[in-house]
Amino acid sequence: MPMIEVQHLTRRYRDRVAIEDLSFDVAEGELLGFLGPNGAGKSTTMKILTGFLPPSEGVVKVGGFDVTTHPLEVKRRIGYLPETPPLYPEMTVRGYLRFVASLKRLPSRGLDTEVERVASLTGVTHVLGRLIQNLSKGYKQRTGIAQALLGAPPVLILDEPTEGLDPAQRAEVRALIKGLAGKHTVILSTHILPEVTMTCERVLILNQGRIAAHDDLGKLAGLHGPSESASLEEVFIKLTAA
Amino acid sequence: MRTALAIARKELSLYFTTPWAYVVFTAMVALSSFFFAALLETFQQVQQMARETTWAQMPPEYDSYRNLTEGVAVQLWGTVIIITLFVAPFLSMRLFAEEKRNKTFELLMTAPVRPIELVVGKYLGGLGIITATLALTLLFPALLSFFGRAETGTALEWSTVLVGFVGVLLWGATCMAVGLFISALTESQMLAALLTFAVLLPWMLLTSVAQASEEPVRSVLTYLSFDSQLQHLLKGVLDVQSFVFFASVIAFSLLLTHRAVEVQRQA
Ligand SMILES: Nc1ncnc2c1ncn2[C@@H]1O[C@H](COP(=O)(O)OP(=O)(O)OP(=O)(O)O)[C@@H](O)[C@H]1O
Ligand SMILES: [Mg+2]
Repeated sequence: MPMIEVQHLTRRYRDRVAIEDLSFDVAEGELLGFLGPNGAGKSTTMKILTGFLPPSEGVVKVGGFDVTTHPLEVKRRIGYLPETPPLYPEMTVRGYLRFVASLKRLPSRGLDTEVERVASLTGVTHVLGRLIQNLSKGYKQRTGIAQALLGAPPVLILDEPTEGLDPAQRAEVRALIKGLAGKHTVILSTHILPEVTMTCERVLILNQGRIAAHDDLGKLAGLHGPSESASLEEVFIKLTAA
Repeated sequence: MRTALAIARKELSLYFTTPWAYVVFTAMVALSSFFFAALLETFQQVQQMARETTWAQMPPEYDSYRNLTEGVAVQLWGTVIIITLFVAPFLSMRLFAEEKRNKTFELLMTAPVRPIELVVGKYLGGLGIITATLALTLLFPALLSFFGRAETGTALEWSTVLVGFVGVLLWGATCMAVGLFISALTESQMLAALLTFAVLLPWMLLTSVAQASEEPVRSVLTYLSFDSQLQHLLKGVLDVQSFVFFASVIAFSLLLTHRAVEVQRQA
């Protein structure tokens, strides 16, 4: 059984159609790259998967549970990093992570160990005592990622996780995400195509709210490129030019 | 419920880490000391008049000035009620509006938290901060009982004063519930505060509208106006009916907030 099932998903904002009739599955342990030009509907799809937005039509299941009818079961299984990291500027990183841990109903015993664990995974250990408002953008982003990892949820949905990071941090986060594959099912969106080539096995390209491609990375390049070695960038530009 | 408490705790600690709570505390204390001083002065003038003549010769409306409890404390609660009306919207405004502006609303709504726990947690946090604000005004009766003297017995009848304070708290709790709902409707804190005020103020004016109107409208409006509901409590008489009234207003506001939180996601 796939970990995430999406069937005929449509979402309208008033009369503007953001995504239309999306259907795809994500297998357990898979690392799926979500690509698409600005406004393609990546964030909208992720917001629906995480139960933040209700779908206009269609069905979304995570771990076999329908988001609309069993929202709590779905939310328990997902760690989510929204487009804008959801931070409280007046809190310290530690206070914030502890708060999110209690929102996720992690047992209070071992809570500090869990906070330390995600902090060291995302490299925020040395800023745990600092106020979030005083952190640099990259560290805010890392705190956002740390929050998603709390409780080691089976599914991670990361909306542009490497946004705002410097090249070194970017590589670190990429390695971190790559390390999550297998244990976690991950969907990550990004505009940096080489990143997808480096981390993901499969990609889904959205264009104007519809699926332009959904395939293994290798096959995609072979299918659309002039040669076997066509870069993802060429494929992307070709598919989203229409 | 553990989650609701965690949300309430976070709410309270955020209030105390921002300067805003202290501004509100200062406003509360400053405004009520101003009225307290005015009440004391009137009290002393009436007492002075009474000493020159006798209480029997004084007009009957001055009877309440025979002791500090009725002459000052009960009247002070009356003014604290009005100050609360102005101050509470500034405490309730950030409850949901700030989460939306910060984009942390998305965090709360994608965590395994039921909307009801979110609403209850937020409300408990709001109750905590309004209670802290109102508790500051207990300073004034404390001053009275420490420095005051009475013709008979203790300077202050604490039971009357405390029942009155319960009435004040009940009113504060009601303001926060209304403010919570309005805060759930907008991203702008200022708009939330203004709208809350715009709802609470006409409510205060309801008594005068009632007095100007005919039966049966008059009794309905009097029943709905909060100062007639608070009348007994403020004078120290436990009044079950007004508990029921304010509890219903609070429950109704929380229900609406719950609805608003659910609906907001659709937008
Ligand atoms: N709250 C909203 N109200 C109205 N329209 C919206 C809203 N949010 C998104 N949209 C529209 O839905 C479409 C998809 O937006 P979405 O944010 O999902 O795109 P995206 O793929 O994440 O883009 P980006 O790469 O810029 O993050 C866009 O046309 C956008 O204008
Ligand atoms: Mg986006």
